[in-house]
Amino acid sequence: MELKSFGKEALAARRRFKYRGALSGYLCILPAMLFLATFSFAPLILSVTRSFRSYSTGEFVALENFKFILQTPTFVKSFANVLILAGIVVVTQMVISFLMAHLIIKLPLKLAGVVKIGIYIPCMMSGVITSVIFNLFLRYNRGFLDAIMIAMGKDPIYFAQDGIWPYISIIVPTLWLGFGYNTLVMLAGRLNVPREYYEAAKIDGAGVFATMFKITIPNMGNFFILLLVNLIINNLQMLEIPMFITGGGPHEKTITPCMYLFQSFNDMMRDRNITIAGSLLVMIPIVLLNLVAFVLIRSKGSEDA
Amino acid sequence: MIPASLKGTDDIWSIPPKWLPSQWEWSNFAALLEQDINGGYFFRSIGVTLIVGVSATFLNLVINILAAYGFARHEFPGKRILWAIFLFTMFVPGITVQITSIQVVTKLNLTNTLFVLILPTAANAYNIFFFRQFYLMIPDSLEESAMLDGANRAQILLKIFLPLSVTPIVVTGVGCFIGHWNSYIWPTLTIVENQDKYSQIMQFVYMLSTNEPRDYGKVVAATLVTMLIPLAVFSVFQKKIVEGVAISGLK
Repeated sequence: MELKSFGKEALAARRRFKYRGALSGYLCILPAMLFLATFSFAPLILSVTRSFRSYSTGEFVALENFKFILQTPTFVKSFANVLILAGIVVVTQMVISFLMAHLIIKLPLKLAGVVKIGIYIPCMMSGVITSVIFNLFLRYNRGFLDAIMIAMGKDPIYFAQDGIWPYISIIVPTLWLGFGYNTLVMLAGRLNVPREYYEAAKIDGAGVFATMFKITIPNMGNFFILLLVNLIINNLQMLEIPMFITGGGPHEKTITPCMYLFQSFNDMMRDRNITIAGSLLVMIPIVLLNLVAFVLIRSKGSEDA
Repeated sequence: MIPASLKGTDDIWSIPPKWLPSQWEWSNFAALLEQDINGGYFFRSIGVTLIVGVSATFLNLVINILAAYGFARHEFPGKRILWAIFLFTMFVPGITVQITSIQVVTKLNLTNTLFVLILPTAANAYNIFFFRQFYLMIPDSLEESAMLDGANRAQILLKIFLPLSVTPIVVTGVGCFIGHWNSYIWPTLTIVENQDKYSQIMQFVYMLSTNEPRDYGKVVAATLVTMLIPLAVFSVFQKKIVEGVAISGLK
């Protein structure tokens, strides 16, 4: 029993060692705690308290501000808009980055390295830069695309206004910005799937789609869920690209909730507390989505273990 | 892009489009040297943004590595609940706290200084999470044997944990720096006065593009110069970044 008692002692020593670090532990997290308290929690608490008060008198008005913002047509419309825009972006991005990851796996190793680096470069660009680049192509009458239309003897397209073009002019740059990152995460997930599974599927005579839905996606596990949730959360908060490219037009068809709130904040005439109530409403789906992802990943994790 | 930056304005919008300029106009780049917007200069703006980016990244790494080490390698009462509180901040979208954040930084007298750009990003729950995951994987025995050799906590962090965390340092460091380089919304809200001194590069490029829509050659030239910094950072760290993105996806 020599061994056992030794193990116990070591365990006790380890615990002593760990708890001896309590003070050092607090000291380590103290700076981060102070910064988070000041720049995350203080504003959040202020937002919550202000959303229940009247902007002009400071009186407690319960849910009045929330009621008001939910009856503002533009705000409600902006949610419908972002559901369309984000919906298309999320689905398209998932599909094309999945296919790209699939393609990269088939490439020779050296070429795959170059491709990975190449597709990641746009991810380093900002919304401002992206819209300057895309505006070169999309400007009415003067952009490259319209120049080509005119050269071909056709009418120029007003990309920010005509038909479905405003949607396309937002969706394409958004896809371009996120494509590299999403492909790399997809790729990491794809490499997680044991190769034998594919061999087994082949022997069983599974087709391309059966392999994809029954083997690849389920076995990518956390990567797939994580990417999906991240994409939805990020695109629900779409702001810079629509603001710089279409400015929310035509007829507020591409205004997003974040754009509406940002513009209201900058408008001194608007009731700020009502805008704050609106910005708290934007937080609700994001917190819920995060919780769903957390629960899914947790349950998945325990299944694997 | 590159040809457009070298074209005169007439050339850029010529019909049919020309892929190469009829006259090579290096003047677009030369004009940037003298371009001032609200009294600020292009290269000054680049310099100021670099200073902000580098100092914010340094501060961010120090604070988040410390916090991650605290959570990963210490036991203390209230640890679980504190960790949950930290994680909760990841869920709060920027827009929700935008207006009240401005209130807070105004109370602290930080607006229109560089601190308003550097301090709010110092602690980041996601970065702490990322470092913590890394530190949880380092075996206890490594730390214990160092402890037996008489090393204290600070030495363990500096000598054992830091050298092992090159990948997360590069990934979060580059992320933080590029985030500052690319940031537009927060600076426009907080650097309202003193724009001649502190205007950030994206503010500058955006204002240039709205002030002089006709002079597009110059706008494109500015955009190209502005893209060089992220490209340079990326080319130095490309391998680590590509590798790190895959790890960060793991959570």
